[in-house]
Amino acid sequence: MSRAEFSYDFPHRHLLSVADLNPVDIAIIFERAEVFLKRNRTPDKASDDLRGLTVLNLFFEASTRTQGSFEMAGKRLGADVVNFAVAHSSTSKGESLSDTARTLAAMQPDILVVRHPATGAPKFLAEATGLSVINAGDGMHEHPTQALLDSFTLAQRWGSVGGRRILIVGDILHSRVARSNIGLLNILGAEIRLCAPPTLLPTDVDQWGVEVFHDLDAALVGCDAVMALRQQKERMTGGFVPSEREFFHLFGLTHERLEVASPDVLVLHPGPMNRGVEIHTRLADDPEISLILDQVESGVAVRMAMLELIGTNIRKGYAA
Amino acid sequence: MMFAIINARLVDPASDYDGPGGVVVADGIILEAGPDIDIDACDEIIDARGRILAPALIDLRTAKEPGLTPDGETLSSLAAGAARGGVGTVMLAPNARTPQDSPDSLAALVRTFDDHGVRFLAAGAATVGLKGEQMAEIGLLARCGAVMVGNGDRPIADSRILRRVLAYSSQFDFWLASRPADAELSAGTVALESDWSARMGLPSEPAISERIAIERDASLAELSGGKLLVDRLSTEAGLDALRHVRVRDIEIAASVAVAHLTLNETDAGDLDSAFRMDPPLRSEMDRRALVEAVINGEINAVVSDHRPTPFDDKGEPFALAIAGTLSVETLLGAMLGLVHDGQLELIDALRVLTCGPADLLSLPQGRITAGAPADLILIDGDIPWVVDADALASPRANCAWSGRRFQGRVLQTFVAGVMIHNHDG
Repeated sequence: MSRAEFSYDFPHRHLLSVADLNPVDIAIIFERAEVFLKRNRTPDKASDDLRGLTVLNLFFEASTRTQGSFEMAGKRLGADVVNFAVAHSSTSKGESLSDTARTLAAMQPDILVVRHPATGAPKFLAEATGLSVINAGDGMHEHPTQALLDSFTLAQRWGSVGGRRILIVGDILHSRVARSNIGLLNILGAEIRLCAPPTLLPTDVDQWGVEVFHDLDAALVGCDAVMALRQQKERMTGGFVPSEREFFHLFGLTHERLEVASPDVLVLHPGPMNRGVEIHTRLADDPEISLILDQVESGVAVRMAMLELIGTNIRKGYAA
Repeated sequence: MMFAIINARLVDPASDYDGPGGVVVADGIILEAGPDIDIDACDEIIDARGRILAPALIDLRTAKEPGLTPDGETLSSLAAGAARGGVGTVMLAPNARTPQDSPDSLAALVRTFDDHGVRFLAAGAATVGLKGEQMAEIGLLARCGAVMVGNGDRPIADSRILRRVLAYSSQFDFWLASRPADAELSAGTVALESDWSARMGLPSEPAISERIAIERDASLAELSGGKLLVDRLSTEAGLDALRHVRVRDIEIAASVAVAHLTLNETDAGDLDSAFRMDPPLRSEMDRRALVEAVINGEINAVVSDHRPTPFDDKGEPFALAIAGTLSVETLLGAMLGLVHDGQLELIDALRVLTCGPADLLSLPQGRITAGAPADLILIDGDIPWVVDADALASPRANCAWSGRRFQGRVLQTFVAGVMIHNHDG
């Protein structure tokens, strides 16, 4: 069913949480992302859909790939993209986030793309500035565009993720990627499994609409896709997990372990990878199974879709 | 080969049976047990002549010394002492000298387990070097043969780390043996805080140190879903805490060391270093409370806490001496002392030494029933003997019971149907 059959327009001016989206919103995002995905493979990538709008990349945490992906997405749509390296500027001089927000709003940007170590910071900035905000990762809370690009990547292969069995393995406790993916995959009707040591699972996570495992071999049975999460090195040295080698023995993905999964199983990873910790290096490079580079490509397309849809609504707001 | 032991007083705590009977054993397995057994097909028949036939003991807390220690306790000397003491299953627990925190060395140790007659088990370290700071490689230790984890004599002081260790080990369904002591209250102490220790001027720990620790550890076990083994409960205060926390939905078990059931602080009356223990010996009230707890079924396992120590370590004044005693060979004798004293029924004494510890680890032995491994002991409950530390199988001599008069002795020990000790032979 295409969007033309609905009298429904994408209603959002922000992307703060996947919980704000309904299945039709997601279908619209994927539909636009597919257009951009194809266009990005041609020499005519650029358009002027967002000409005149300013996208401010506001990254309070170091990021290369997400920030680069948003920057490329904005530029391909003709927006003015400004990277504000906040980590090294005013906040380190002790400025509060609300003061930073007022200062930035005074420069009259249109869309803030925000990554911040504190849960709720993007929402806080949306309320404080009145500007459109895209959450590019807040603390251990959400990373909605990552979840969208993960599902979009899978939907490109499968048509739809609904009804598919998807396993998320690794440090779920500290992962915003996992939280957004659990939320989004539930909306899309996938069967979600989680696998991690008990030390890396949030409290009462079994009530999040997922099935919880501690044994990877049991968790992998019949899975259509596996999302490996990035393991933070400092959490692998005796605090949450005894060592990297133990983590790999218990929770590392290998070709051998995937034999109990679906024959066409796919593996995703949000990057950057720790080869030999969460994923065997041979598996990470297996083009038959690994979607890791497809995810990066999808990332730009999905972020273009978000910027375009939000930009359109900003213009509508002005027109009204 | 098929053999039978007949005319015994069969004592099997698992089935609560204490009466006349015998067993038929084939291929290391108990084929039949009870008062009516068919012995026609047996190649050999042992007439017990009314003596006690019980499951071989299971000791969840022993130690050997590090490999290549001169004159040290080795796996074979430990096995020999265990066999003589009627212990068929011996757990090597981590301690400061042998922390068992490296999967590679544990694997090497486990590979040598099969050569000694008794069944050996190993507990891995919960934290690296038992320091309580960094989780040990519990998953790899499990793969290398560990069946549980523990942190030796050191409580894990940091509650956040203990929480994570409990949570992490729960994925392997492992018990975490945790010494119940508040790390700060007990730091540097060598005795119970009491009239005796005060007069002796010994640095001492209050009994509530144990209560505080049990309440904390149990709360963290409840939060994390972990399995907590209170490793050597020793005070009435600790027992009170155990009773309180057991009301809640927690997987919790408790062991008691044989020293705390059979000795008290005044045994060290003139500051004899042989009675320097960790946990320290307690008051007579504490000891009686622990015996009551054994009778009431509140204690899952009694352990020897066998700890071989060179003379150099014990050749120090009480307050400086290394804690611990040889006890695997005297474990049953000391427990039989309580039975002869009328403090404990034989079946209750044996329960915490056989099916109690077996059930904690889901071991098939520790019971006399058809299908169980033929791990058995034949005991003469009356033979008197005097413990001579130098005559024990251990090359060490630090035995708190040295010179004590015991009544009752293991005549024969069988593991998997094989006789590994014969008192007369």
